[in-house]
Amino acid sequence: MKLFREVVAVAAKDVRIEARSRYALGAVLPFAATVLIAFGLSIGPGRTLLQETAPGLLWLAVLFASILSFRRSYEAEGEDGALEGLLLAPVDKAAVFLGKAAAVAGQLLVLEVVVVLLVSALFGLSLGSEPAVLAGAFVLGTIGLAGVGSLFGVLTESARAREAVFPLLVLPLATPVLVAAVRATALATGSPGGGGGSWLGLLLAFDVVFLSTGTLVYGYLLED
Amino acid sequence: MSSSGASNALLPASRPGSIPDRRGAAAIELSGVTRVFGMSPALVRVTLTVDRGETLLVRGPNGAGKSTLLRVMGTALSPTYGGGSVLGFDLSRERDEIRRRTELLGHRTRLYEDLSARENLRFACVLYGIDQDGIGAVLERVGLLDVAGERVRAFSQGMRQRVAVARALMREPELLLLDEPYAGLDADAKEVVDEAITAARADGRTVVLATHDPTRGAIADRTVHMEQGRMLPGEPARRSGRDQVTAG
Repeated sequence: MKLFREVVAVAAKDVRIEARSRYALGAVLPFAATVLIAFGLSIGPGRTLLQETAPGLLWLAVLFASILSFRRSYEAEGEDGALEGLLLAPVDKAAVFLGKAAAVAGQLLVLEVVVVLLVSALFGLSLGSEPAVLAGAFVLGTIGLAGVGSLFGVLTESARAREAVFPLLVLPLATPVLVAAVRATALATGSPGGGGGSWLGLLLAFDVVFLSTGTLVYGYLLED
Repeated sequence: MSSSGASNALLPASRPGSIPDRRGAAAIELSGVTRVFGMSPALVRVTLTVDRGETLLVRGPNGAGKSTLLRVMGTALSPTYGGGSVLGFDLSRERDEIRRRTELLGHRTRLYEDLSARENLRFACVLYGIDQDGIGAVLERVGLLDVAGERVRAFSQGMRQRVAVARALMREPELLLLDEPYAGLDADAKEVVDEAITAARADGRTVVLATHDPTRGAIADRTVHMEQGRMLPGEPARRSGRDQVTAG
């Protein structure tokens, strides 16, 4: 119960900061929209090709957006040494990890709704084939990205070239999540292949691994 | 001041469910503590004992190791070599118990700039398991009640420091570590810091203060000097009978 209260407090604090700074609205969303429009224009008017590439482009936009969101999330911790405050507080450090992951996951899910609607309009993506698999892909994929981002955000906070180091650490580990999420999304939006459930199972496995690892090691990473 | 006696009755009671306070121990006992950053030693074999209820002033030029010393005491940094205890808890193995009882007020106020003063204190209350009812009173005490709803981003350094002092006042820690708390403050804000120290002393709590400000030393029971990471022999204790500062 105490852990849950601390997770909620950290997540609520991050969401409030995001709501005040409007970073997602002002930077992340325009960035994601620009990526999608640029890809759409470069691929050309062929509707079949657009539909086939849409799940991959959609998740690429989400991946880049998640990197920006996590950088912002840890920037707020570094502005006046607040991360040290979290270190010195007698709280379970797993609560900090889970709270920060939950806050960014929430922001990404809102962003994804907008991005999916945009992709649907631009690329003619069908959303009605398997809505449960589609929703599962986004929820599980987002949790996976949030787990990786929250874990490595703290590692790179003290790094001199953190803007470069963070993607270098996150992108390789996020790739399996990205592949599974893209396949599940493709199947849910009508691409041939079947077996959306197995990709969702893989996403769930990644989520369990990343969240468990983060919960166990975050405290050690936070210490000097 | 001895670790036994009347002053200990004034110490805050241990929180429910926590490990009982180890009141027989000195507030701080460091033995041969060395801290190295890369190849540069910031602390060199520092041995120091601070009694319960004592107010210790740490002086020294820039780069002397004062901040590192306080950050080691507050468990923000680990000693590279050596060890010791704070409030009877081992510096390496019982960090959470030390953190529960210690407030480190440093150069950085550890506030969230996009939250208001009140929201920052509320968040601290959740982290430290403190009742939020006292937030209004403590903000009034540091003179920020009128601006409690404004974002910290718009605050001056002095106002931010006041919020940090308010957080320390709310927590009533057994050990207050103040690292240059007067830096960048106007006279009124300095008074707020002094009041926090006076209140801690009156409650029999231990205070370690590192400052350059020559006008702020009078409040201390004892002064120690640092240079190039080493502790130099301090002045004779005015209140403590156990001055055990040794050079490394």
